[in-house]
Amino acid sequence: MSTMGGYRAMTRTEFRLFRREPFSVVFVLAFPLMMMVLLAAVFGNKKTDAHTVQNGMLIWRGVTPANYYTAASVAVIVAALGLMTLPMSLDSYRERGILRRFHASSISAPTLVSAILTLALVTFVAGTVVMAVVARFAYHAMLPQDVLGVVAALVVGTATFGAIGLLLATLLRTSRSAQGIGLLLFFALWLISGTAPPRAVLPAGLRDIGGLLPLTHLVTAIQNPWFGFGWSGTDLAVLAAWAVAAGVPALWLFRWD
Amino acid sequence: MAVITVDHLRKTYRDVVAVDDLSFDVEAGEIFGILGPNGAGKTTTVECVQGLRHPDGGTMQVLGLDPTTQGAQLRQRIGSQLQDSALPGRLRVAESIELFAAFAHRPVDCDELLARWRLDDQRGQAFDSLSGGQRQRLFIALAFVNSPELVFLDELTQGLDPQARRATWELIREIRQGGTTVVLVTHFMDEAEHLCDRVAVVDGGKVVALDTPQGLIDGLGLPSVVRFTTSEADLDWLEKIDGVETVARLGDAVEIRGTGPVLALVASELVAHGIIPLDLRVERPTVEDAFLTLTGGDIRS
Repeated sequence: MSTMGGYRAMTRTEFRLFRREPFSVVFVLAFPLMMMVLLAAVFGNKKTDAHTVQNGMLIWRGVTPANYYTAASVAVIVAALGLMTLPMSLDSYRERGILRRFHASSISAPTLVSAILTLALVTFVAGTVVMAVVARFAYHAMLPQDVLGVVAALVVGTATFGAIGLLLATLLRTSRSAQGIGLLLFFALWLISGTAPPRAVLPAGLRDIGGLLPLTHLVTAIQNPWFGFGWSGTDLAVLAAWAVAAGVPALWLFRWD
Repeated sequence: MAVITVDHLRKTYRDVVAVDDLSFDVEAGEIFGILGPNGAGKTTTVECVQGLRHPDGGTMQVLGLDPTTQGAQLRQRIGSQLQDSALPGRLRVAESIELFAAFAHRPVDCDELLARWRLDDQRGQAFDSLSGGQRQRLFIALAFVNSPELVFLDELTQGLDPQARRATWELIREIRQGGTTVVLVTHFMDEAEHLCDRVAVVDGGKVVALDTPQGLIDGLGLPSVVRFTTSEADLDWLEKIDGVETVARLGDAVEIRGTGPVLALVASELVAHGIIPLDLRVERPTVEDAFLTLTGGDIRS
């Protein structure tokens, strides 16, 4: 059968398994949603805040804090799944001999990864809808102005964080180490990428480091079309570069056992 | 015609030598056994042959392909039942067969496969809820999902009850009748004896003997043991019989070790001396005896 047939069968399998064990992504969806609700409650939804400046930057990028966090928290979903769920579940597949079984039966790494990322993308779109609806009802936040632009950013973000997750799964080897390191990376990124404190309030050094990391660019890539600022080509390009830089070695070094 | 040729295979893990210097051929249509104590290098060998591991030295040819460079091509044509593998816990039996069939160039009929391996009643059962024997049968079934020309079965009947073992042997023989070559990795002597056309005994990463099961036994000239009981006191004449090596006595029980047609010769002499025991019997050497002799008798774990 064609590669496409294998991809379809693998994707159907991933969706079935997800349906039977949906709690595996509770944290991934609930944590960003909770943070959006809390941070928006702390900083409010006042129009006057939109143009507050610090360190020569608009703190809230010209929108209200609630709007800022709604779009930023969508990026957090992507990062949480890529940095924590993906490497942990792949490593536990490896530890239990599931990857060996797949490998012996001609299932290729790109096919398996594509199926996993298809499920991830659908999860992200669903998470985005929930985020937008909750923010709308709770804070009268705006809905995405350019839906296609947001979806495009999610697609590129899925590739980027999927590749990073795959690289982590490959380098860390055990689900325990993936859990520890993934958690650490996730919270470090979350704090310096404009998803918790806005980047304008960070010290210059941390802002510069954050500026190199993918989550910062995913936040802008999602926020810009969400707020109607247009697509951000630069951010999408940086994300794509990260996807290639992590994905190529990850597939190259991928271990089945 | 050889479907597998392995020449001076070597594989080390850091400083542990798993396979030292291993060579054998497998002919088309035979059931070939790889027998050895734990840690002898059996599993590593078949994993190398399937292209799942890269050897450090030696050459291999499997179905005319090189497993180290043409592994993907090879795996389409072989079936594999692996040790220590698993499926996602919530995946159901029929779903897993369908999934693997989707990757096969020549998939078999899933329903027929389920029926053949008696998994009909477990179709909708999740992998996690299967018993050890059911899992084992599912893994064997998965090995045949791509209509393989050659199958590797690593510990075929691990976890199966005696009836299921016999049934599985029967199915493996049937599959061989269909023209499929079978490579069987096992540490069960009876399995090797009943099922295999030829057996390679592996120890310390080397083939220490390669022959038919009977050939292994005959080649070693292992003694038969003749036993009977008698109250007759003087039995010294027994030692003069052709082929008799030792005569041991414990009370009325007599145990004679010897080679050749020792039972017939002992029996006729007994009758000639007026001793006609009811319980005269012989134990012929088994593959197990051959194996223990060849591998030094110690079971490593």
